[in-house]
Amino acid sequence: MEYTISQVAPIVLLPFFAFVINAFIVKHFTKTAVAISCVSILGSFFFATRVFFDFLNTYSSGYYIHKTFTWFDISYGAFPFKLDMGIYIDNMAATMLFMVTGVASLIHIFSTYYMRDDKRYGRFFVYMSLFTSAMLALVLSENLISVFIFWELMGFCSYSLIGFYYEKEGAGNASMKAFMTTRVGDVFFLLGILSVWSVVGSVSFVDIYAAIGAGKFNGLYALGIPLATFAGFSIFMGTIGKSAQFPLQVWLPDAMYGPTPCSALIHAATMVAAGVYLSLRCYPLMEAGHLTMAIAYIGGITAFGAATIALVQTDIKAVLAYSTISQLGYMVLGVGVGSYNAAFMHLITHAVFKACLFLSAGSVIHSLHDHHTHAHVQEMPRMGGLRHKMPLTFIAMLLCTFAIAGIPLFSGFVSKDRILGDALVAATHSKWYWGPAILGFAGAFLTAFYMFRMMFLTFFGEPRDKELYDHTEKETLSWNRNLPLLILALFTLGVFFSGSFTGQGIIKVAGKKYEWFQTLIVKPDTKSFMSYRKQDFQFEPNRDPQQFEMSHYDPDHGLSEDEAHHVHHIHHIGALVSIVIAAAGVFLAFMMYVRRTWNPGFWVSLLSPWYRSLQNKYYFDDLYIKGLIQKVLLPLNNLLAFIDMGLYDRYIIDGQEYVNRVFFTAAKWFDNLVVDTALVDGNGAAIRFFNVILRTIQSGKIQFYFIMIILVLTGYIWNLNI
Amino acid sequence: MVSLTSYLFISFVLFVAGIAVMIARKNIIAIMLGIELILNSAALNFAAYTRFVNNNLDGHLMSLFIIVIAAAEAAVGLAIVIRFFQIRETIHIDDASQLQA
Repeated sequence: MEYTISQVAPIVLLPFFAFVINAFIVKHFTKTAVAISCVSILGSFFFATRVFFDFLNTYSSGYYIHKTFTWFDISYGAFPFKLDMGIYIDNMAATMLFMVTGVASLIHIFSTYYMRDDKRYGRFFVYMSLFTSAMLALVLSENLISVFIFWELMGFCSYSLIGFYYEKEGAGNASMKAFMTTRVGDVFFLLGILSVWSVVGSVSFVDIYAAIGAGKFNGLYALGIPLATFAGFSIFMGTIGKSAQFPLQVWLPDAMYGPTPCSALIHAATMVAAGVYLSLRCYPLMEAGHLTMAIAYIGGITAFGAATIALVQTDIKAVLAYSTISQLGYMVLGVGVGSYNAAFMHLITHAVFKACLFLSAGSVIHSLHDHHTHAHVQEMPRMGGLRHKMPLTFIAMLLCTFAIAGIPLFSGFVSKDRILGDALVAATHSKWYWGPAILGFAGAFLTAFYMFRMMFLTFFGEPRDKELYDHTEKETLSWNRNLPLLILALFTLGVFFSGSFTGQGIIKVAGKKYEWFQTLIVKPDTKSFMSYRKQDFQFEPNRDPQQFEMSHYDPDHGLSEDEAHHVHHIHHIGALVSIVIAAAGVFLAFMMYVRRTWNPGFWVSLLSPWYRSLQNKYYFDDLYIKGLIQKVLLPLNNLLAFIDMGLYDRYIIDGQEYVNRVFFTAAKWFDNLVVDTALVDGNGAAIRFFNVILRTIQSGKIQFYFIMIILVLTGYIWNLNI
Repeated sequence: MVSLTSYLFISFVLFVAGIAVMIARKNIIAIMLGIELILNSAALNFAAYTRFVNNNLDGHLMSLFIIVIAAAEAAVGLAIVIRFFQIRETIHIDDASQLQA
């Protein structure tokens, strides 16, 4: 495929134009707006598919499209201050584009079912289009500033979508919470961008890689810590905020106030994926800053902690929300333990199965209608036995649950197991990595348990709310309800990601079979970027000939034979352990919620203090709201208010007013006395004075004129001095 | 031999008398008589100067010219006075104050 800009730009521009048209031109025609959104995202999917398969078929690890144009250039002498905007597509971006457009298309289609009775049906699609286009633009971004722009745009869209039902007070608060919490990370992110810019003189990813390869960060310090660490951590704080990692995870569960398809979009394809995508993009910086251990711990803590909270949730969407946090923890853990392509693979697989889970949950919730309150039911204690009512949703959700729980042959197993295997490998190298690894395995056990708990409570057993169950209509196959679910469920099979059932290769290159994911997604080799040249933004094919070569897939990743053997060995152990603990989790859930042999109440009473803290989400909301906001920010706010109102307003503003008043009085006096009285009135008086004289002369009496003439002539003659 | 000074004295007397009549009298016809006196004084001046200084006919010519102008002026002036009298039924100068601004 020859790359011209007209083949890449539509990926972003189609949804964006859909947004513009819907928002500003046809906003009152709901059906038209929906059609425009859906068609545009499908078109975008078409173009993304072409790009993706082109990258897939060429099979080069170093295959980039990079085009820039200068946005502004205010360089002065030796100080470069120039910003190039542009697109940068490598294998990761191409895969990401394919995933985002695909998942977003299916979510759009599902939304036409879910939102069809909503009074703001059209508006929902306006936001969805903007959200998707922002994410796609972020993926295509060439530099950190442009990432930041679309990052914030997504923040705005999530704000709008979470607060979509703004009549509810909770939705308004949740949207504000999401926006403000991610904002904490964004501030650090911006700081990181600026610190990178101060060193590299550019924020382009390529320039950053080249600068790291050239060792430009060595020996630089900011605030007493190495600059690479500072910049890397600041950028990672952006990830923490956006991807809901350990200290800033509080916003994501509240994001459930939005409509379910938008939750699917936020949790799968766009918002939270952007954070992990960013940290993968900046992976060389994290590595250069020696941040991997900290990242691994944050990921491990998030993966485990969120999984424990998910154990006690009763709202079906809340379980999924905490599972998202937990899975994002795995991705970050993968970044931390250097498992670059497994982390990205988990991002993709998670996007697929989590989108499907949310859409299935939406399908369940939409069907369950309480005739007393006229609201949809989300509480699992009121469900049960629903597999008879909605078999298709059940099948889709079950496949996804297998995937997320890490059952072999499903996509979640492939990716999560690789992350855990790499965590184990890292642990054998450095004993400090045992922490994240154990947290990861424990989290995997809990994941299997709570996901099957959710499945069993929702779909198995006897209906616990008989009236609700009887009112629910039996599901029939409908294209916009079940088709997206089933397509997504199909792609939870591991074979699409791992290559084959055994985990090795379906793609043949030079007579050998390779695994496409491992081959395509490799860590950026910073040294190779030092000679990389940028292409101007032009309408010509610009495949970079130096970079275009078949990569030689090395299953050992360039490790020595002993080391490779060691890694394989550890991975086998890791895989076995994963299977065992996943099976244990499923078995435990089965015994508790289907056979009811073991009573969950016993464990609750045994671990009641812990249970209470779980129900309160480890008191993080209390800590932030009561501790941080009320104890720290509110006094600070009051202090600032006092400075503003008590000091600034009172003395500076009012003082200025007093000074102004004095000047005003003086000016008024001057104006009245000098200008009005002396000049204006004086002028008039003078004119009136001369007027009297002249009027007297002009008497109209001809004899008087004679006298005047004679006098004047006499005076003239007198003055002749003859 | 009558000297130039005598002529000039007579001319001066006529001139002053004309001015005095012009200013002091309120009758328009009297004022016109005053103007005639002034013109005559001027004519007398011309005649006297040309007799004693140049000794040619230039001054006489100017005197004749003045007499003609005076006649014309008197004719026009009397016509205006008659017209004025028809309108105002008076020839008092103070009633002719329409030119006042």
